[in-house]
Amino acid sequence: MGIVLVGGRSSRMGAPKASLDWHGVTLLQRTVGILARAVDGGVLAVRAPGQPLPDLLDDVTVVDDDEEGLGPMQGLAVGLAAADGAEVAFVCSTDLPFLHPAFVRRVLAAFTVDTDAVVPHAHGHRQPLAAGYRTALAPTVTGLLAAGARKPAMVLEACRTRWLEEDDLLADPALAAVDPHLDSVRNINVPEEYEAALAVPLPTVTIERFGTLARGDEHRGIEVAAATLGAAADAAGVVLDQHVVAALNGERITRDPTVPLVAGDRVAFISADAGG
Amino acid sequence: MAGGTFGRALVVDVEVGAGEVVPLPEHVQRSYLGGVGLGTWLLHELSDPAVDPLDPAAVLAFVFSPLVGTPLTTSAKFAVVARSPLTGMLTDALASSHFAIAGKLTGHDAIAVRGRCPRPSVLLVDGDGPRLIDATDVWGRSAADTEAALAQRLGTGWRTAAIGPAGERGVRYATVSHDGRHAGRGGLGAVLGAKNLKAVAVRAATKVAPADPAGVLTAARDLRARSFGPATAKYRELGTLSNLLAFNAINTLPTRNFATASFDDAPALAAEELHELRQVARNSCASCAIGCEHIYATGRGGGARVEYENVYALGPLCGVSDPDAVLAASARCDELGIDTISAGGTIAWAMSCAEAGLLDAPWLRFGDGAALLRALDELAAGTGIGPLLAEGSARAAAQLGGEAPALTVTVKGLELPGYDPRTLPAMALGLAVNARGADHNRSGAYEADLGGELDRFAPGDAHVAAAIETEDRAAVIDSMILCRFLRGVFEEPFDEWAELLALVTGWDLDGAELRATARRIVLAKRMFNLRAGWTPADDGLPRRLFDTPLTLPSGRTAALDRERLTAMIASYHRARGLDADGRPSPEAYADLHLRAPLPDAAPVP
Repeated sequence: MGIVLVGGRSSRMGAPKASLDWHGVTLLQRTVGILARAVDGGVLAVRAPGQPLPDLLDDVTVVDDDEEGLGPMQGLAVGLAAADGAEVAFVCSTDLPFLHPAFVRRVLAAFTVDTDAVVPHAHGHRQPLAAGYRTALAPTVTGLLAAGARKPAMVLEACRTRWLEEDDLLADPALAAVDPHLDSVRNINVPEEYEAALAVPLPTVTIERFGTLARGDEHRGIEVAAATLGAAADAAGVVLDQHVVAALNGERITRDPTVPLVAGDRVAFISADAGG
Repeated sequence: MAGGTFGRALVVDVEVGAGEVVPLPEHVQRSYLGGVGLGTWLLHELSDPAVDPLDPAAVLAFVFSPLVGTPLTTSAKFAVVARSPLTGMLTDALASSHFAIAGKLTGHDAIAVRGRCPRPSVLLVDGDGPRLIDATDVWGRSAADTEAALAQRLGTGWRTAAIGPAGERGVRYATVSHDGRHAGRGGLGAVLGAKNLKAVAVRAATKVAPADPAGVLTAARDLRARSFGPATAKYRELGTLSNLLAFNAINTLPTRNFATASFDDAPALAAEELHELRQVARNSCASCAIGCEHIYATGRGGGARVEYENVYALGPLCGVSDPDAVLAASARCDELGIDTISAGGTIAWAMSCAEAGLLDAPWLRFGDGAALLRALDELAAGTGIGPLLAEGSARAAAQLGGEAPALTVTVKGLELPGYDPRTLPAMALGLAVNARGADHNRSGAYEADLGGELDRFAPGDAHVAAAIETEDRAAVIDSMILCRFLRGVFEEPFDEWAELLALVTGWDLDGAELRATARRIVLAKRMFNLRAGWTPADDGLPRRLFDTPLTLPSGRTAALDRERLTAMIASYHRARGLDADGRPSPEAYADLHLRAPLPDAAPVP
């Protein structure tokens, strides 16, 4: 399960972060899409009362947080309580444009039966809003809120927390290969940080075209820079109509152009007609 | 009588060469259309499903359809239907071209045979009725050679469906073929061979008009135009072999007897690589505007029709990457007249057995093209392991015993096609429940898995619904009959098919009626199987697929969950209106228009 905490006033940014453009999609679409790629069980978006959200896919569940002004800890309580059926959830804020599925998987893989939360310690900071939580913590968080607590750090002191230092994170070769600087935890709070993030080169992905979509040796992979499936299709000269689908890393089949891409991805464009 | 039909079937007892005309009531034709649907009804009516498929009393039917002979593109198709000697269940395979047209224009909607010829024979059917001629001169020859010899002997106008040497010898996955195209799955060639019937030759003797000739002509022009569009481009430009690299990229290319679902050497066999180097011809069936047949040079001076399934089964499934060996093996299968999927599946199983020390054939190794060809040679000659391979993997494994059955990958005894169910959950269900066994034509559920709408790794109710929908579509398109490669041009298939059928037959059809027809045909097939001894345990997937999870490149594991599949099968049965024993309600059974009573539940073995 993935939970994105969308609430917050974005006052320093001067505009709702969730709706910021990120190379053709919104920042919220990007973050939700990354979580959807990394977790089983779907994604929840927790928003403030009446908070407008950009368009999301039907399989994203939007949960309303009825209490205003209690900060991310309140969103955490609501999100964990709503995460029916999941034992653990990766919880993050909206503003992580470089979040990588391998980072999410690394965090979730660190859970043991004796762990209630797995929290990275990277870039000099604890990262409770890019961390994993056992959903059974929901009553604990609610109780702490009732007692006046407002910071997620207080939750971590009240449960069995496993801290993942940078070395721990990068001990995972899959993560080290695609996010060696742990940019997954790089968030954006002010317009300057947003502009700087946008200026970062787009992720390099490999695209392949098969069957009638390939001419000559085009079925052999080539590298392109693309942040979304739609951009990769454009780079490949492929129209994602009813006759074409894309396979992401050989697993997910989709033609949704908003699907986020990250460094190391492999996108295969194939005929939607698989008859043989 | 409905337009486009004759309202009668010819039933020939080949022991004496005499025929009987059996009327086909219009309500039966409307209920079953033609092709596999009408063929299923005929088998219920003409045969005892419990009779051994290789017994003289067994019935095999060539079945045409209302659309055959019209200008509608891809309509020149026929079904061959019988109880399978490989599975013991109903098998219904399609082939195409002039035999369909000439066969129907003998004045019959179906030609069925029973009995056993006293000597190798060819059955002739034309306006003068049925008769037998001696086949001694073509006995032992390939189907293609037989067709050529009979064309010379009989003269113009005759069209022939024949078996190869494998059918004569009772190889349980022998085919019936016409003009190089095989009614391939389930061993129909062995059924004809057991009747000493080398071939059936037909010659047109009459005509039949559709109810609305002008309307049919207009619809044919429209359909032809649509058949040149993007929905069929894959088949025209590269053929079905273009699946190979794509399936490899999405981890659904069964390799080395399903040890994995990707093949490192797949590019060596890919259409994208071989097309420029080896393609020597393209070809079409009669009345077809698509032209999906791609002929490649074998490297030994010959040519082979190349399809995804034959390259999959004789290539990756056996670990063989040498295109010369794979194409030669494919050509050899055609000469023998055997189903390439079951041939490759059986040899791949034997390779697993040899590797595990269960089969005394140390030469039979995965990846060895020469070994693949030697296995086919022994199959052809009946030497070495040939007699074992001739049984198909399930029966062969039962003979070997021990752990050999655990290495088979079959459903109802039919070897799996090149769609790995561990990464295609809707297809997993489709393969598990289909009446014919592990089959990608009667269940096209892979379309749902690969359509981008369903989760390939989290099956649920939507996958069950998708499997039923694609099975229903197949039941109708295979009964009308139109080529499945045309299906992508229809936006509302049942409605559009109803319009086409209405123009030809004159029936006041709509899409809702055709959906009911689909359900009826699917149920009729299941009822034949129930009468033949089907039990609920026959709907399922083989142990090897549960025992062998896949590790995908991301590190993710793709595995079949036995409980989940069992739940999906139960959901499928409920949706089909079947009880725990696979029996429908009396009302649903009555709607099948069968003389045989609703069978009792088969005893659990």
